[in-house]
Amino acid sequence: MSAPALTPLPAPPGVYDEMLDARRSPRAHYAAYADWLASMSEEQMAGKRVEADLIFRRIGITFSVYGEQGGTERLIPSDVVPRIIAADEWDRLEKGLVQRVTAINRFLADIYHGQEILKAGLIPEDQILANDQYAVAMIGTRVPRDIYAHIVGVDIVRHGDGNYYVLEDNLRVPSGVSYMLSNRKMMMRLFPDLFRRYHVRPVEHYPALLLQTLRASAETDSPTVVLLTPGRFNSAYFEHAFLAQQMGVELVEGQDLFVKDACVFMRTTDGPKQVDVIYRRVDDTFLDPLAFRPDSMLGVPGLLAAYRLGNVVICNAVGTGVADDKSIYPYVPEMIRFYLGEEPILQNVQTWQCRRPDDLAHVAANLADLVVKEVHGAGGYGMLVGPTSSRQEIEDFRLRLLHNPGNYIAQPTLALSSCPTFVEEGVAPRHIDLRPFVLVGREIKIVPGGLTRVALRRGSLVVNSSQGGGTKDTWVVDAADAAPGDPV
Amino acid sequence: MLSRVASHLYWLSRYLERAENMARILDVGASLALLSRQGDERAATEPLVITDSLEAFTATGRSITPENVAHFLAWDTSYPSSIVNCLEASRENARAVRGSITSEMWENINDTWLQFSAKRRDAREPVDAAFFDWVKERSHLFRGITFATIRRDQPYRFIRLGTFIERADNTARILSVKQGRHRAEPEGDGLTDYYRLSAVLRSVSSLEAYRDTYRDAIDSHRVAELLIFDPSLPRSLRFCFDEVVRMLAELPQAPSRAARRLAAHMLALLEHGELEDVYGVGLDAFLERFLRNNVRLGEAVHAAYMEMK
Repeated sequence: MSAPALTPLPAPPGVYDEMLDARRSPRAHYAAYADWLASMSEEQMAGKRVEADLIFRRIGITFSVYGEQGGTERLIPSDVVPRIIAADEWDRLEKGLVQRVTAINRFLADIYHGQEILKAGLIPEDQILANDQYAVAMIGTRVPRDIYAHIVGVDIVRHGDGNYYVLEDNLRVPSGVSYMLSNRKMMMRLFPDLFRRYHVRPVEHYPALLLQTLRASAETDSPTVVLLTPGRFNSAYFEHAFLAQQMGVELVEGQDLFVKDACVFMRTTDGPKQVDVIYRRVDDTFLDPLAFRPDSMLGVPGLLAAYRLGNVVICNAVGTGVADDKSIYPYVPEMIRFYLGEEPILQNVQTWQCRRPDDLAHVAANLADLVVKEVHGAGGYGMLVGPTSSRQEIEDFRLRLLHNPGNYIAQPTLALSSCPTFVEEGVAPRHIDLRPFVLVGREIKIVPGGLTRVALRRGSLVVNSSQGGGTKDTWVVDAADAAPGDPV
Repeated sequence: MLSRVASHLYWLSRYLERAENMARILDVGASLALLSRQGDERAATEPLVITDSLEAFTATGRSITPENVAHFLAWDTSYPSSIVNCLEASRENARAVRGSITSEMWENINDTWLQFSAKRRDAREPVDAAFFDWVKERSHLFRGITFATIRRDQPYRFIRLGTFIERADNTARILSVKQGRHRAEPEGDGLTDYYRLSAVLRSVSSLEAYRDTYRDAIDSHRVAELLIFDPSLPRSLRFCFDEVVRMLAELPQAPSRAARRLAAHMLALLEHGELEDVYGVGLDAFLERFLRNNVRLGEAVHAAYMEMK
């Protein structure tokens, strides 16, 4: 008995379906995939998924969850249906990302030096200078080429109107790129025939570009680069180890480094070796116990002093967090106009700043329809999603909001676009976002696509891996390249 | 190469070797216990004596039976050198440096741990010959993959160093308990001796080597000679120290003067010594000194390359 072919279910009304158009036929860049999918049975797809899980577990692509029972490791589910982006759309996204990240770096250099944007009155001074993320130590500290954010992961969503919007600029230690690379490797292994039908733009050179970017961050000729990890109990440790190996640089922990005569060295079997560039995957506050948290065992005493003297480069720079704070996010379009004299190519999501009385009044009156977030929050914690919250939850949140309005911003509930995903019901729509990784060196480089995160629970809008999210391989394909499939 | 990485690699291989050796000791112990006529405590005690764990076992309050002892040494998480703890430590050390070993090596050691965890579930925790064979095989497999995939560079040398320092320790302990004054079994008739000695040889994969070398009945002095002095037998003390000295010579020289001097001294005794020298001071005294020096060597290697001052 032959199983029925797989037909993707369409997205509910008001949600942009990445694969199917309004008449429920595949969009041009998905046509070849739809053909191929029709030739597959549910059993075949299920078999592929089992194979993928086995390989991921064996390779150890896991994130750590440490609870009372000691350490356990979980897989981040990787869906076997790719998210496909048409090349013309991607090219526009790419231009928008380059523009946005350029402006953000100009902004960071400005607020730690001339503060022209504050003088121009475009952002209230206290929002920057009194911000927890504003690093006083960076005032007047020069960084090579004025680059502060070398590695940026920008979260982008597509709304029901079909347009892309930037949801968040992750400028501190964005993660997830190893999943982008592993997903691609896995998909090529599981579905070689699909890669013959499509010319998918490659992403495998990301580690090489990253190394190039890190080397370019120093002004010395052949700098020694290291990757600083909090250690193997960190949830993203796999990614740290993976990137260090791919780049051929040492993976160091704080205890491997020491500062002598204001220079940074690592302890090796050949004696001390000087370090020029630190790609750090730890937060600012864990870098140097002398400068930040004296209780931290992760940091390197004296690192900040060496950094301020220009004897070592830290990527991303200290103090970038002020620019991806949710209270500063609403000003990014202004930054683009102010520093570049251009109109923003990528739009922000409409944002109400609860510190403003008018905005607060609007938010308080519409809590049931809005998403309200803490300005310093991340990872989907400490937020209210109005439409899915109970009356009691909304009232509890209202008290917190009114008690400290400056701590919150609000945005409309976005109908994130959906992409066909292989789940229990077959190939069904699930909400997705997109995190492209932007590398800022001598020039700005972005590998095509990025990481697509998917909310695996039906109807859920939360894509975070800590809360039931998975990932998808992300393809940028040229429409003309999508050759008709081989005869089936 | 980072000092911390050197330390993880060294301990990764020491723990794996220790797990393998534990499996060897228990495997032979189990078959000897079957032969033992009274099924008495002495045979069951022996694995505890070899591994210096009699006290730790007694503290559990369990009775000394071959099954209880094997379960303790294989599965008890409170005993630091149990197979379960060794395999876990080995895998944790590998995880800390997975960027410094080949992906095949990491995948193998991770896969070993996953298979092992499956054996552990449902309170199955086997202590049969199939399980000990499995542990040995996984250790062999890792060594083979290491040999076939990793560059002959510092990581490789620290891995080898760990393997051979640990292995020398194990061979010396087995010899000391099975052959020395403190051995668990009394001098028996010819038949018991034959089983006892062939068990020693089998536990270090050397029964065939003995037959090929001597083509004669198994004799306790020759067993000692083979396991101490034979330059071609991979588990003899001599072979282990040839490797240790070679690895040390290929690592950075400046920090390791003390370690190299001690290793060279130990190798000289094995290279130029003879069985008469050993029995001159007594096998026990000889092996005790060897074990003490081996511990000192481990400390010297640490001080040279791995200390985080």
